Amino acid sequence: MKFRTCVSGLALMAGLSTGAAVASEWTLEKAAEPYAGTVVDVVFLLRPGYEAAEAMLPEFEAKTGIKVNIVKSPYENALGQQVRDFVANGDFDIALIDLVWIGNFVENEWVVPVSKFTSNPDLADPALDMDDFFPLVLDAFGGWDGEIYGLPFDNYSGLLFYNERMLKDAGFDGPPKTWTELKDVYGPALTKDGKYAFALQSKRNETQSADSFARVLWPFGGSFLDENFRSNLLSEQSQAGLKFRQDLMQYMPEGIVSYDHAETVNAFAQGDVAMITEWSAFYATLTDPETSSIVDDLKIAPEPMGPAGRKPALGGFSLAVASQADENEQAAAWLFIQWVTSKANAKEYLDRGGVPARQSVYELPGVAEEFAFVPALVESWQDGVPEFRPRFAEWPEITEIVQEWGTKIMLGEVSTEEGAKILGERMEAVLEEAGYYSGDKPLAQ
Amino acid sequence: MPAKTSRLTLFGFLAPAVIALAVIGVGPLLYAFYTSLHFFNLTKLKKIRFLGFDNYSSVLTDPVFWEAMGRTFTMLIIALPLQIFIGLGIALILNRPGLGFWRVLTRLSLVLPMATTYAVVGLLGQVMFNLKFGVVNQLIGFIGIGPVNWIGDPTNAFTVIVFWDVWQWTPFVALVLLAGLTTVPGEVEEAAELETKNWWTILRYVQLPFLIPGLVAVLILRTADTLKLFDMVFTLTRGGPGSATELISLMIQRVGFRAFDQGVASAQAIILLIITIILAQIYIKVFYKEV
Amino acid sequence: MAAAISTKRSIGIQIALMLTIILFAVFPFYWMVTTSLKTQVLALESPPVWVFTPTLSNYVSVLFDDGVFRTLVNSLIVAVSTTILAIALGLPAAYALARIEFRGKKDLWFWFITNRMISPIVLALPFFLIVRQLGMLDNLITLILIYLTFNLPIVIWICTDQFRAIPYELDEAASLEGASHWRIFRSICLPLAMPGVAVSAIFSFIFSWNELMFALVLTRTKAKTAPAMAVSFMEGYNLPYGKIMATSTLIVIPVLIFALIASKQLVRGLTMGAVK
Repeated sequence: MKFRTCVSGLALMAGLSTGAAVASEWTLEKAAEPYAGTVVDVVFLLRPGYEAAEAMLPEFEAKTGIKVNIVKSPYENALGQQVRDFVANGDFDIALIDLVWIGNFVENEWVVPVSKFTSNPDLADPALDMDDFFPLVLDAFGGWDGEIYGLPFDNYSGLLFYNERMLKDAGFDGPPKTWTELKDVYGPALTKDGKYAFALQSKRNETQSADSFARVLWPFGGSFLDENFRSNLLSEQSQAGLKFRQDLMQYMPEGIVSYDHAETVNAFAQGDVAMITEWSAFYATLTDPETSSIVDDLKIAPEPMGPAGRKPALGGFSLAVASQADENEQAAAWLFIQWVTSKANAKEYLDRGGVPARQSVYELPGVAEEFAFVPALVESWQDGVPEFRPRFAEWPEITEIVQEWGTKIMLGEVSTEEGAKILGERMEAVLEEAGYYSGDKPLAQ
Repeated sequence: MPAKTSRLTLFGFLAPAVIALAVIGVGPLLYAFYTSLHFFNLTKLKKIRFLGFDNYSSVLTDPVFWEAMGRTFTMLIIALPLQIFIGLGIALILNRPGLGFWRVLTRLSLVLPMATTYAVVGLLGQVMFNLKFGVVNQLIGFIGIGPVNWIGDPTNAFTVIVFWDVWQWTPFVALVLLAGLTTVPGEVEEAAELETKNWWTILRYVQLPFLIPGLVAVLILRTADTLKLFDMVFTLTRGGPGSATELISLMIQRVGFRAFDQGVASAQAIILLIITIILAQIYIKVFYKEV
Repeated sequence: MAAAISTKRSIGIQIALMLTIILFAVFPFYWMVTTSLKTQVLALESPPVWVFTPTLSNYVSVLFDDGVFRTLVNSLIVAVSTTILAIALGLPAAYALARIEFRGKKDLWFWFITNRMISPIVLALPFFLIVRQLGMLDNLITLILIYLTFNLPIVIWICTDQFRAIPYELDEAASLEGASHWRIFRSICLPLAMPGVAVSAIFSFIFSWNELMFALVLTRTKAKTAPAMAVSFMEGYNLPYGKIMATSTLIVIPVLIFALIASKQLVRGLTMGAVK
């Protein structure tokens, strides 16, 4: 029995006033009874966290009689697929929301706030305990404009993965503390004999915006936008970050602009690259002898600091109930979301290769020792930047611009200033069109 | 021929195909035109509004659109002569008498590239041209050429898509030209061979006239197909690195289905259609007269 | 004697050249199939391995775990249905274009050429919007219909050509006996045009089977076709080259078989009768 009935948990819930009487006997089986046989459609990516959830699914289906129909899609198609489904009033009952999509999904009213379900004592698990989610993660992945829509499901923080043996051989006792140290000290020492100090995934995909461009902006004090939503890419700090990336490229493998996550992780896993900054989710790949030849040398640290602090990359997905689903499907969808992100299931999810956003699971005895990334992860989630990439509805258009000009800058086709200038102009044109400058739209990101 | 054909009979023969093509082909085009006159973003359906020809003027003045157009024609200008040149060589080899078994085998093997699913060609390209695990780098390594970063470098990536286009369509050109060569009457060729041993003279003055229809067809179809080219590049590079391989179809797809701006994308698509039709008209007028 | 040696040498060169052509044409297939028989670790080996113990595990997993089998079935249904439909609609039109005089014939002709040239992206955008309103996304029928935009021209083109090649005396005789166009079409021309019908059928099958863009935009799960499936393995998170190549092999094999059967008429199919 995974769901403890825990009346005290209720105190943490929103809208509890109506639910106290029945909540004491809440069980998943009972809550799901009216929805047995309901089919819930959701997009899953081809990533470790989703495989973990899929492996856990039979238990949920057995308990509830709800059938979860998984549509697998690569990340790069997932947004297009969902948008096309939602505008067509299609079949998806659950939205899988990358944190940068949330503004878009909410503005289009494609998703339902969680309060609709947390306020319904028949559906809300008394043990839901929203406060157990890392506040930054819950807010960034699932929240928009003060309202929570999605529960954090597949959660990432950028971490520094390093090959301890390669660093030792080059005379280093530990990983670099700052980006400058990484470039000026570790870079030259580790780049030789066909090996490289560092690899930064920079393909013209979301990875260019999220993992490469944004990663060098924030630690150097830069950002996409200033407080008036004008481009901040020409600021001294933003430029410092972009120039840093150009300099750092000499210590990266050739053709880094064609590296997506897979190529980067693989280069590291084969021992060709000494350090990478990657999402926590790759821990599973890098500790599996089938896909990694450096399992014993793998060490993990928080991302290096820049002049403006750590500001590690933040990314991840929440699951939200889709508004196009009918009432039964919505209820069934909620039960699944609540279950798969629950406190009680967090450990199993972690064991199977997922990264839960529940604070409690990382406090369990032995977890920090068993999963080497935990301390760095927890630290990263204390002070990340929610608007690491702006989360407003215009992001899909803006990321295309960043991807195009970001890679052009890296390839040296334009200078950092020139590239940033064009990028800024195009970004502002999109924001202008959206009505941020005329005051039609609040400056929320 | 039956003397009189009633309108009804004619209608009965033609109507099904014409109506079907009009409904599924022309209908959507009209709708695309309607969309192109509006601000029409899939993620902002509440804000649809009439813009007149604003989308067109912004497309026509957008350097990114013309760069993609330019890239598409660059691709055509590089790949087509290669295809014609190599294809003609292959056709001449296959047109020589004797060696029946080898000729049949070669002809059959030429069929394979053109039938291959275009998307699969791109996927194959990813596997074979990979910097590290790619067989191409291994093979050129044997002759001492150091690993080439095929897909990660803008110029090389463009070379790779040209390579695959040439790989896939040279056989087509070769077979078209071979078909032309086989229409040269045997006596004419034999008479010419008595006059001169120079193959170039024979090609130029005897065989070329019979090749013209095939060459025109190749020109028209390759132009149209390059303007349509999407699958192979999409699966191989997705238009990258940077925009090095972003041909016109990829660009429109990106605007319409990744940035979701269907209004602008429709305007781009209609401009592309107009360019295609103009080119087809010119080709047919210029070349078919001589044929 | 000298001439004999030079002929021998030229034959040698000719064979060498043909071998090169064959090698170039076939090698990518060889590589595709061998990669599909490698395990994930082996497929990512650097430098690539040529000799290894083959495994069918990629095929087992794509066919049964990843649902490639169903997408192949979808592709088959779509390609066969659209071909049948294209022939049913296109044959009468081809007959009329070949055997009946009427005004505007040339323009109609040109209209069909144009359809062959339109980039699918031009139609994909509005088609998506229309189909969305009709609630017909992710539906095999949608694909079957939209594939007519390139299959109808193929059928009409090739078959018009074929009908023209039939001697006119035959239907003149029949029409003197009072046979209608429908009779002539059905009982005289059609049987004689069967080779053309077969070729155009094979071509519409191949083109429909290979199509990616419409499938990508208009389908999601239920109606997903095999090429769209092959593309969906391209997650940036891992490189399942073995699986991708196994799926590719499964997609390519049926077309290759068809193409080899029709190899003689291939050129005509691809140029749609422009070269005779």
